[in-house]
Amino acid sequence: MASTNTTVDVTSTQAPAAPGTEDIILEVNDLKKYFPIKGGMFNRTQGFVKAVDGVSFKLRRGHTMGLVGESGCGKSTTGRTILRLAGEKTGGQVLFNGREVYDFTAKELHDARTKMQIIFQDPYSSLSPRLPISEIVGEAVREHNLVPKDEFDDYIDKVMEECGLQPYHKMRYPHEFSGGQRQRICIARALALNPEFIVCDEPVSALDVSIQAQIINLLHDLQEERGLTYLFISHDLSVVEHISDAVGVMYLGGMVEYGFTEDIFRNPLHPYTKALFSAIPIPDPKAKQNRIVLEGSIPSPANPPKGCKFHTRCPFAKDCCKEIAPEQKELEPGHFVSCHLYDE
Amino acid sequence: MSNDKNVKPADQAEEQEYSLNDDRRVKVLSPGALIAKRFFRNRLAVVGLVILVAMFLFSFVGGVISPYGQDETFSTMTELNTQYAGITETTSLRYTAAPDAEFGALVQSKANSAINAGETSFERDGVVYTIDQPTPDLYTFSQGGQVVAYASSNVVSVPAGATAPSFEFQVAAITAITAADEAEEPAADAPEVTEDGTVVVESDEGDAADAAAEAEAAGNTFEVDGATYSFDEAGNVMDGSGTVVAMVSPFVMSASDGNTVIPDDLRQALLTAIEADASEVVYTDANGAEHTYTISYDAYSKVYNVTETTENLVYDRYASPSLEHWLGTDGNGMDMLTRLMYGGRVSLIIGFIVVFIAAGLGVIMGGISGYFGGWVDNLIMRIVDVFYCLPSMPIIIILGSAMDAMRLDPWIRMIYLMLILGFLSWPGIARLVRGQILSLREQEFMLATEATGISVPHRIIRHLIPNVMPQLIVSCTMSLGSTIITEATLSFLGLGVKFPFASWGNIISDVNNAFVMTNYWFIWIPAGICLLLAVLGFNFVGDGLRDAFDPKMNR
Repeated sequence: MASTNTTVDVTSTQAPAAPGTEDIILEVNDLKKYFPIKGGMFNRTQGFVKAVDGVSFKLRRGHTMGLVGESGCGKSTTGRTILRLAGEKTGGQVLFNGREVYDFTAKELHDARTKMQIIFQDPYSSLSPRLPISEIVGEAVREHNLVPKDEFDDYIDKVMEECGLQPYHKMRYPHEFSGGQRQRICIARALALNPEFIVCDEPVSALDVSIQAQIINLLHDLQEERGLTYLFISHDLSVVEHISDAVGVMYLGGMVEYGFTEDIFRNPLHPYTKALFSAIPIPDPKAKQNRIVLEGSIPSPANPPKGCKFHTRCPFAKDCCKEIAPEQKELEPGHFVSCHLYDE
Repeated sequence: MSNDKNVKPADQAEEQEYSLNDDRRVKVLSPGALIAKRFFRNRLAVVGLVILVAMFLFSFVGGVISPYGQDETFSTMTELNTQYAGITETTSLRYTAAPDAEFGALVQSKANSAINAGETSFERDGVVYTIDQPTPDLYTFSQGGQVVAYASSNVVSVPAGATAPSFEFQVAAITAITAADEAEEPAADAPEVTEDGTVVVESDEGDAADAAAEAEAAGNTFEVDGATYSFDEAGNVMDGSGTVVAMVSPFVMSASDGNTVIPDDLRQALLTAIEADASEVVYTDANGAEHTYTISYDAYSKVYNVTETTENLVYDRYASPSLEHWLGTDGNGMDMLTRLMYGGRVSLIIGFIVVFIAAGLGVIMGGISGYFGGWVDNLIMRIVDVFYCLPSMPIIIILGSAMDAMRLDPWIRMIYLMLILGFLSWPGIARLVRGQILSLREQEFMLATEATGISVPHRIIRHLIPNVMPQLIVSCTMSLGSTIITEATLSFLGLGVKFPFASWGNIISDVNNAFVMTNYWFIWIPAGICLLLAVLGFNFVGDGLRDAFDPKMNR
């Protein structure tokens, strides 16, 4: 876990450079996003929900990074903050193709929207119920003048076909589609802008397992065809293991462990990661499951514990955990952990 | 890894024939079509729609078809007898005393008994009065050679505006006239009495001087205080210029209406008719208009009643339903059915315009409030709160009476009414729209529009408004009914739509007493039914739309 300093000091934060340092499409340094808690007589700000509190990682072009963690740990907010969809950030840096996203002018941001896209968790609420599919997919294309007018229909057909939709679906409305098809429409909408980077915000968690596989495979195929970069947010570890090149594990707004997928799944180092991975169901009734059961519940992000945020539930907590926030350390090449257990 | 399950290879066409895949479905319904389908499944909503269509046809087409105008009045000519004058014949003696003489009631009774006894003098309180009888119908009472009173069945009256004649003049006039009556000379220009007992006379006013000259020629003159007066046989006393200064007659004629001046020739004709026992007088006045007067004698009150028969234009007020007027006529003699049609037009148009104003304002304010949030939202919602606190009925009543005081044109007034009602009813819609937009704003498709870089106007017009429409339409339809009711209430109170414009409310307000209500059902029942049906129709359709827009309803 990175520094929990509220002051933004970009230079001091050394973002872990893994996996791979060449051709970094997205670099996130000590990103912070606090939501004010308003209340009282005059709607004063009484405190902050520290939804994202010091997240740092780098993402290589054409790779997929999985972001896992339990509900409410700030995964989705991280994704949206990166895309500048959650208002202003509180601190840190988001460098997209080397440029600070939050420094874009309105015009630049408008253009950058075609480069970075998002697929939402709920395919039911993410499609406007009163527009036909062709409008949902094509509206932004027209808005950005991506294709000439006479090629517009063909272009939409092509994108829809890529996403496993038929051209005759164009005139239909969202309510006529199943969840999987809706998620395909969402993907088509994102893809129609020909982006480089897509935040997949739990794209399969609302779907049943067989459809999940279809969507995951579709995303995978599109990545191979177009060289897309994904930030794949999920709480489903097996899905993340399947699709990701690298995995970040988040707890209470911070990133506790971060590294290549194989390394992390083979050798989880952080106690929280260990506990999380022990909860993966094993499809073998005879296998013995060594579940690590964590005590208590996740603390409120409005009032996170001092020191290591995990110390309230950590079975290995030491005295120093309560006082000092652990630094992020590279224990293996490209495998970063924030934990005092590995202090020398 | 590619997933081919949904992407059908082309050579599997046969399988497609029997598959339940999407492309096999023939019918594709847009959300609008689905709503329509659900709406038309709802029997009550269809009934409401039929009622509304009928109402619209009735109001908008009916008014065109109807042969009558909105404020066309209907009337008939009728002969009306109105009391014109009463004529009383004086049979007993009437005593008149000189201005400075004492001739009280006790002296009069003494005089009466002296006259009856044929005595030539009597005494009362030591005063001796001498009775003279210059003519059969006149007794004078002198005291020491001075005439202090007279008694006669003739009465000296003055025409309107003339000064009261002096005592001496009265005595002289009565003496002269009663003496002339004794002579029984038939007058030269006495009105003729036809065989059927009708007196026909033409006005000859204007040649009064001639009449005076004529009277002088006939020797009918007398002198008082050096002035010469002439008189005719009807008892009219004229001065030298021919102006009537007094009338002497046993008949006292008074017009029923204090403002009416009975022309002298008519008076004479009436008196002639009474003497001749004629019952009808046809009189042509100076303007050439013919009037017919009927004289009837009421033996009980001993009064001859003169009634004038006139041709009058009478409005067909509260005429019962007939072939010409299917729903009769109202208190102004206007065709009720036509009035109802035009009233429907006004009521419906007012309803629509008010709701249109309210919805427009509500959507704009609610939309701004919901979309931008923050202090804008706070400000607008506080304004809405203030509007909610305003008691709308008193405000409308005050403004209505203010417009009364300004004597606004009914047409302008109607426009103001719509504006006022619209301005008072937008907050509800603003709140609804704001709530909707607040919830829509959190939906992921709004985030998606932001993520895809769609401009703010497009986001509002293409994504927010269409999703607010269902609730908006339902709310507007419902408030149409209540607006019509409000308008009817105001018109009923006389503060809404004013004559000559009809509205269902002011048609009902014609029924302002129990007599009209119980006797002329055709005035208020049809308007009430129209109002009921229209509001019921709007509510049915509103309910139907709400159910149709609710996706949880069965398809």
